[in-house]
Amino acid sequence: MIKVDPNLCIGCRSCSNVCPSQNILRSDSEGIRRILWKRCREECDLCVEFCPAKALTLVPFDESVSEPQLSFDLVSCRICGSRYAPEPMLSRIEAAVPPDSQRDPEGREWIRVCPACRLRAEAQRAAREGVSGRRGEALRRGK
Amino acid sequence: MTMVRIPTVCPYCGAGCGFFVEVEKGRATGIAYMPGHPVSEGSLCSKGNAALEILCHQERLKSPLKRKAEGWAEISWDEAAEMVARGMGETIKNDGPGKVALLASSKCTNEENYLIEKLARLLGTPHIDNCARLCHAPSVVGLNRTLGAAGMTNPIPDIADSQCIFIIGSNLAENHPIISRWIHRARDRGAVVIVADPRETHTSWMADQFLQLAPGTDVALLNGMAQVIIEEGLIDEDYIAERTRGFEELSASLKGLSIERTAQITGVPKEDIVRAARSYASSPASTILYSMGITQHTTGTDNVQAVSNLALICGQIGSPGTGVMPLRGQNNVQGACDMGALAEFYPGYRRADDPGTIEFFTSAWGAAALPAGPGLTATEMIGAAASGDIKAMYIVGEDPANSEPSSLRVKRALESLDFLVVQDIFMTATAQLADVVLPGAVWAEKEGSFTNTERRVQWSSKAVDPPGCALSDLEIVCIVGRSLGLDFSYPDAASVLAEINRTVPQYAGITRERLGEGGLVWPCPSPDHPGTPILHTTGFRLPDGRAQIVPVPYRPAAEGPGGDYPLVLTTGRVAVHHNAGSMTRRSASLISREPELFVEINTADAQRLRIADGDMVIVTTARGEAQASARLTERVKRGVVFMPFHFPGTNILTTEAADPEARIPEFKVSACKITRRG
Amino acid sequence: MTVYVDINRCIGCRSCEVACQRVHGGSGHVRVSFVEGLASVPIFCHHCEEAFCAAACFSGALHKEGDRTAFDVDKCTGCGLCALACPFGVVWTEKIAHKCDLCWGRTEPACVATCPANALSTDGEPPSRQSQVRAGRAGASGCLR
Repeated sequence: MIKVDPNLCIGCRSCSNVCPSQNILRSDSEGIRRILWKRCREECDLCVEFCPAKALTLVPFDESVSEPQLSFDLVSCRICGSRYAPEPMLSRIEAAVPPDSQRDPEGREWIRVCPACRLRAEAQRAAREGVSGRRGEALRRGK
Repeated sequence: MTMVRIPTVCPYCGAGCGFFVEVEKGRATGIAYMPGHPVSEGSLCSKGNAALEILCHQERLKSPLKRKAEGWAEISWDEAAEMVARGMGETIKNDGPGKVALLASSKCTNEENYLIEKLARLLGTPHIDNCARLCHAPSVVGLNRTLGAAGMTNPIPDIADSQCIFIIGSNLAENHPIISRWIHRARDRGAVVIVADPRETHTSWMADQFLQLAPGTDVALLNGMAQVIIEEGLIDEDYIAERTRGFEELSASLKGLSIERTAQITGVPKEDIVRAARSYASSPASTILYSMGITQHTTGTDNVQAVSNLALICGQIGSPGTGVMPLRGQNNVQGACDMGALAEFYPGYRRADDPGTIEFFTSAWGAAALPAGPGLTATEMIGAAASGDIKAMYIVGEDPANSEPSSLRVKRALESLDFLVVQDIFMTATAQLADVVLPGAVWAEKEGSFTNTERRVQWSSKAVDPPGCALSDLEIVCIVGRSLGLDFSYPDAASVLAEINRTVPQYAGITRERLGEGGLVWPCPSPDHPGTPILHTTGFRLPDGRAQIVPVPYRPAAEGPGGDYPLVLTTGRVAVHHNAGSMTRRSASLISREPELFVEINTADAQRLRIADGDMVIVTTARGEAQASARLTERVKRGVVFMPFHFPGTNILTTEAADPEARIPEFKVSACKITRRG
Repeated sequence: MTVYVDINRCIGCRSCEVACQRVHGGSGHVRVSFVEGLASVPIFCHHCEEAFCAAACFSGALHKEGDRTAFDVDKCTGCGLCALACPFGVVWTEKIAHKCDLCWGRTEPACVATCPANALSTDGEPPSRQSQVRAGRAGASGCLR
């Protein structure tokens, strides 16, 4: 069965996606992601192999050990407030992106903005910059 | 496994884009673009890209059906034919053929529409019409009167040669997206684009000059522009003298019309009206593109005539880059009209009240006697069904329960018929009311010619068989004809086209052999004629070859806002849907992008009504009420709201008031009120 | 290479979205975003030189192949890191990642071929007098091509 290191797990979707026996349950609700690693007797180690954080290990089956569970608050988007990602995932992105690329042209830390708002912001930027004539003037006037 | 590519014409709008249907083992597996197409150059809009979702849809009608106490029973074609013969035949026998009405389909081929109108007239009823009544009937009437021909005067690619493009009452960016590329090319060459619309649309995005006029004030605007042009001496005097009649009357009718008055009626600043008039008149090649925003009014015919007037006094008809361009909405509404599936015309626009017409067709069809027209129009048929003046109807590929105004009235009227047979591809709201339902074929399941908005006739080939027991509409019409005792035995569409060559002069030279890629543009009077992309180059098909200028006084819309209904409801379309929505609402990739009925409300108006963006609201008119999701926007001015008519509900609200001549309902102006639900 | 948009030609018809979805078996990679009722902008994968999605991908499923940011579906577990790493929100995950592949294997990207308004191209030379090209560059500095 699975042992989880709570300091390493980043709350991503990898293990729950790859488990061939649906032993790992993940749900997002009311701003919290919960992951439950159910007791399993399988000897496959797909979840271990495909964990980006190397947080999982296989240990001998033991009925007395409780099934590991972790909860992650989903961080709020800086623009729309929607709860979109666990904090450890965002920290990992922040570590992977060069520091001088982490602010968008408006000065926002875009990693702390949800993907839908990032797309919208990019569209706004492109429209304000690129649209010409009557519309362009109105777009550049508006904000 | 080998895959074949079958060339077809898109079943959606009147642009007539071509694309290939990929077929493997008898099934449609994909779409390939057609880079050689003269109009689309290989491109295809969102609806065209989703076309296969209709082809393979699980709700496609697969068998003839008869109505039971509860639900439907599948029946054989023989039984269906028998029921139709009985239902329609009895009405004809007991009450006379004048109690039977037929509706042809703007989605069916020319050959099919020709046979449907022929069927009607051989049965002895003058009551045959098609949904052009709801969209471009004013163009048919108004352009025939002013220019001698009812069709777009120049081809779509010609728009790129224009220096001033005036778009009025058309949201072509969403409804004929392909036209945009030609407008962009014109702009690349310095053309000015003027857009007149009560609403900021994807089309007005292209405008250098945007005239946001009040709904129903188009005649005022066009008259106002004409008056500026006359006053400032910007008319083309030579053109007027040589090629038109009636200028003096127009000039006299506009004398005394002040620009301030025009600005007051339309809500457009006078400087903008003057500027637009000057731009249009002084450009070497100007074209006017228009659609429902002009036609769907009680003054629809006047609107069209006012458009012609403007073009004629500026000499902007008959040469490249100029023109009067009605944008036809459906893939074959032009063809359905050309084939005479109209209350007032036999094929080729021969007037139904002209004895010469009756004589010609009596001889051409070997008929005993043929009915003179005009017959009842599509909208009048509904009223006649309600009053019992029509007792039986045969409706092909039309959904009047959703597309006619005042839907509740329409449903009651159709329910009161003694016999209703509906031929369609889905169980539409109209089919739900039928006694017998006949399963037809979509574009890729049959062959035939379609005529796009440019008068371009193109052949669309059959890619796959229709599902289940469904048949091509041509086969079905022949079955119905034979069951009613007529000699309808056409082996294929080409044989019908051969008859069309003999009976429709504009199509005389458009033979099956000549219809390759690119098609042929009518008039094409002989087999060696190359077709006529640009109309009126040397004259107009009217007495002494002159176009007719017609003075049109401004009249406001029939139902203005006031009292209980303080807002003006105007209607229109969105890019991913098509007309009454029976096809697009069933296409997953389209309905997901525009899932529900909405109403656009000006932000300030909404705030006053305490309506927030996304609230469910109730829109009410004198005809009834409909629920919609509120969208707050600045695209409409205060006092105006907009709803798309692709969803059932919008036409519950619209008025039946109609243009007295073209008899088109005034879909574009109704008085309404809006309240938050709950 | 990427798909360039002439913003002044885009008419918001969403044909690119539907075409992309159609040729990719139901999963589309381009999103048209509407700006203040006055403009529509399709947002495509920029195939950034310094692709953050590839940097974040722990399995190597997302990686650079020359100019293109390529995707090897066999290595993807749908973890979701790439979607959070893209500054433009164009990558999305559902079981696996979904991202523009420039229609690898087709003669040209379906969106470019289908655009009725002729607003898309792959050669960075839009046929417009305005010449306001929304080039394949990232809004966030560091990914400039």
